Amino acid sequence: MSFFKFFSKHHSNDSSEDQKEIKQLAAGSTAKNEPQHPTSIKLSENIKYLLKNLNHSSDVKVRVLKDGQSALIYLESLVDQEKIQRTIFAPIEDNDTNSILGLPSGKKTTNLEETIPALLSGQVVYLENGTTTAIQFNATAHYSRSPDEPTNEKVLRGSHEGFVENLTVNVNLLRKRIEHRDLTFKYFKIGKKMNTNVAIAYMDGLADPKIIKMLEKRIKAITSEAIMSPGYIEEFIEDNPGSPFPQMLNTERPDKAVGNVMDGRILLLAEGSPTVLILPATFFMFYQSPDDYNMRWYTGTFVRLIRLASFLIAIGLPAFYIAIVSFHFEVLPDDLVMPVKSSINEIAYPPILEALVMVVIIELIREAGIRLPSPVGQTIGIVGGLVIGDAVVRAGLISNVMVIVIALTAIASFVVPSNEMSTTLRLLTFPIILAAGTLGFVGIVFALLFIFIHLTRLESFGVPYFAPIAPLQLKDLKDTFVRLPLFMMKTRPKDARPLQKGAMGESREWKKSEQSKKS
Amino acid sequence: MSNQKNRKLSQRQFFFLIIQTQIGVGILSLPYDLHIAAKQDGWLSLIIGAFIIQFVLIVLWLLGKKYPEWDLFQMIEFLTGKWLGKVLSLSYAVYFTFVGALVLVLFGRMISGWILPNTPIWVITFLMTSVSLYLVCSGIKVVARFFTMLSALLLFLLFLLVFSLNELKLMYLFPVATSSWKELAAGVNSGMLAFLGFILILVIAPKVKGAAVDTLKTIFIAHWFVAIFYLIIVLISFTFFSTEELPLVSSPILYMLKSFEFTVVSRVDLFFLSVWIVSVTTTFTIYIYMSGVGLMRVFHSQNKKVFLIVTAAAAFFISFWPIGSQKTIDAFTSHIMTASYGMAIFLPFILYGLSLFRKKNAAGSER
Repeated sequence: MSFFKFFSKHHSNDSSEDQKEIKQLAAGSTAKNEPQHPTSIKLSENIKYLLKNLNHSSDVKVRVLKDGQSALIYLESLVDQEKIQRTIFAPIEDNDTNSILGLPSGKKTTNLEETIPALLSGQVVYLENGTTTAIQFNATAHYSRSPDEPTNEKVLRGSHEGFVENLTVNVNLLRKRIEHRDLTFKYFKIGKKMNTNVAIAYMDGLADPKIIKMLEKRIKAITSEAIMSPGYIEEFIEDNPGSPFPQMLNTERPDKAVGNVMDGRILLLAEGSPTVLILPATFFMFYQSPDDYNMRWYTGTFVRLIRLASFLIAIGLPAFYIAIVSFHFEVLPDDLVMPVKSSINEIAYPPILEALVMVVIIELIREAGIRLPSPVGQTIGIVGGLVIGDAVVRAGLISNVMVIVIALTAIASFVVPSNEMSTTLRLLTFPIILAAGTLGFVGIVFALLFIFIHLTRLESFGVPYFAPIAPLQLKDLKDTFVRLPLFMMKTRPKDARPLQKGAMGESREWKKSEQSKKS
Repeated sequence: MSNQKNRKLSQRQFFFLIIQTQIGVGILSLPYDLHIAAKQDGWLSLIIGAFIIQFVLIVLWLLGKKYPEWDLFQMIEFLTGKWLGKVLSLSYAVYFTFVGALVLVLFGRMISGWILPNTPIWVITFLMTSVSLYLVCSGIKVVARFFTMLSALLLFLLFLLVFSLNELKLMYLFPVATSSWKELAAGVNSGMLAFLGFILILVIAPKVKGAAVDTLKTIFIAHWFVAIFYLIIVLISFTFFSTEELPLVSSPILYMLKSFEFTVVSRVDLFFLSVWIVSVTTTFTIYIYMSGVGLMRVFHSQNKKVFLIVTAAAAFFISFWPIGSQKTIDAFTSHIMTASYGMAIFLPFILYGLSLFRKKNAAGSER
């Protein structure tokens, strides 16, 4: 009995400390070394201080209440008037309480400096003459578009939701998909002046803590004043900025992001951008699409193989053609020699020049098409593609085989599901064309060797980029060149360094029991 | 600790490092060389050579097993004393550089003669040097990964040879074993030289994880993989060309492929040669690496990159010297081959002998 008494007594003594701890936990790790400016007892001085620190910006609104005895201060552009009405005035009108100071939804503070970031994030600050307490109310207006399907990553089957520009909505999209306590978010503020909210998301106990630590360190090291989007962050934190290859996978699709989180990878989201970065990335991740998993696995495998073949076509086909027509004509079988020869005979320029001109023309058409509204873009496509293509051959400037080759190359480069990788491929075409034009097959071999050596030595957050080919991980080939049935993908890919290797156990045991029943 | 472990090579990577080092410039001329020496019995010589090398490999392995923490150069310094050790290590480094230069010479000569007659040879050898340097500067782990990936190309080489199966005439191999002992021995000589590069296992063994027994297994499998690969190439050449024809064709495989015509492509030899370039690159890369490590040990330096650049540049410039005419190339080749006996076979035997007497100190204070 006495023991019980002692226990309860101890408990009651502790309650004030407990409250402190709760407050601390709720505040998180922030607010340690923030600047201090105590609230003055005079209302006018407080208002003056705030207005001065906000540079008398025109959208700062001071609403005087109680004949000048108190005031509400907020940034008109950031708050929702409805919400002010609901959280502040409605309870008073309902006579729940007679003073705004007593409202339970407010957060009290005596540090005026603390209210400035609060104002900037869309909160309303209430000040009263004769008291040093300022109260902050949350009345942030959320303007956000609906999570539509991203236009650059369409799929035939599967989710048609996409990330939006609002971080909270994006986090919500992820949380809705993974209802598990392990899904962890960590928020950072980067960009010294812009204070962009950035979040990383991962499955705790699955993602490699070393990579998380590495990522946090690199994010915190950014000293830039302005961070607009993940594209900015990417260049600050990637392993090798000198590489032409993207070392983080971009996506606007929540399903793709979630799939990668479940493999033990980490997401990086930023306020103001629908693009999410997935890391660590490997080369072959850029060739996967959520569509693959919604098809029959034969079809999925077939499409994968087509995409990987498109990689070789995109970087190699023009070079191969140039090497043949300018160095190794004897490679062509007899029946093909005449058609090819007659097509290039009348052309004034050497094949390498033809190729470079055509590749540049294609890039012009593409770049012109992106910025224009879609009806005009189509016109450009027709004028550029059909008219120029046809006229250039008739004028005898470019051979028709070359037009075929370059058109095929351009199409092949657009097959890659990721736009970043696609641009990289088109860029890599140039050095290989030059190598093929100067040294033929030997040039191609050396250029490819350089590229593949680069791919092999490249790392994304300490993870080999060209896995599972180099280093060879036979088990992970199941989702690289082919797409095996999902129930056979029992282990997670090793290149994400997941802490738990197994993704599932036996899922089709019922088949065996059914068969044994039959027999 | 785990990082240290990760940096070690797996047995599989070790395997591919060995085979990619051994298979290189030699495959094009091997059948010709064997045939010049031992006529149609050249393939017998190759097998005998493979067995002898097998024996050498066991000795190398025993030596490596004694000092599992050390590479070749550290062993030399421990076994022969500081100054003699430095001289020997340096001569190994020089030897590796010269072999690298020889690889460059033979490669440049072949490319220049077969596809790019008008391109200056130094352009071709320069490209080879820079690619290899780029690869080797990324560290042995990346080299091993890259070699593993490239090994798929060996299958492609074999695949190209499949088309010859229709045309082979086993008659050309007969009569078997009629060559004199002297001829056979000369054949063994050419055959063994094709296996050079196995000294790599002493340089790289301390970086390979796994028990000594596993290493031995890997070495054996790699050796016999290469031997069988060579044997296939030699047998195909010997049975495609008759005994009279072979002395006229210096690279029989290429001439054979050149004669084929398919509906999609003709001149398959050009594709074979393109893949062969990759095989040569791997060989050259490893020689630069070994030489660089040697110099690094001699000068007790940690800055591997500098030495790698130095050796690559040295090999590149040395290759200018004999490349002028076939005669100088032949002389250069035969000198290096003679040196190879000393460096790759004789010296390791002596080292092993010495190691038998220095057993007790093996725990090693130096590291």
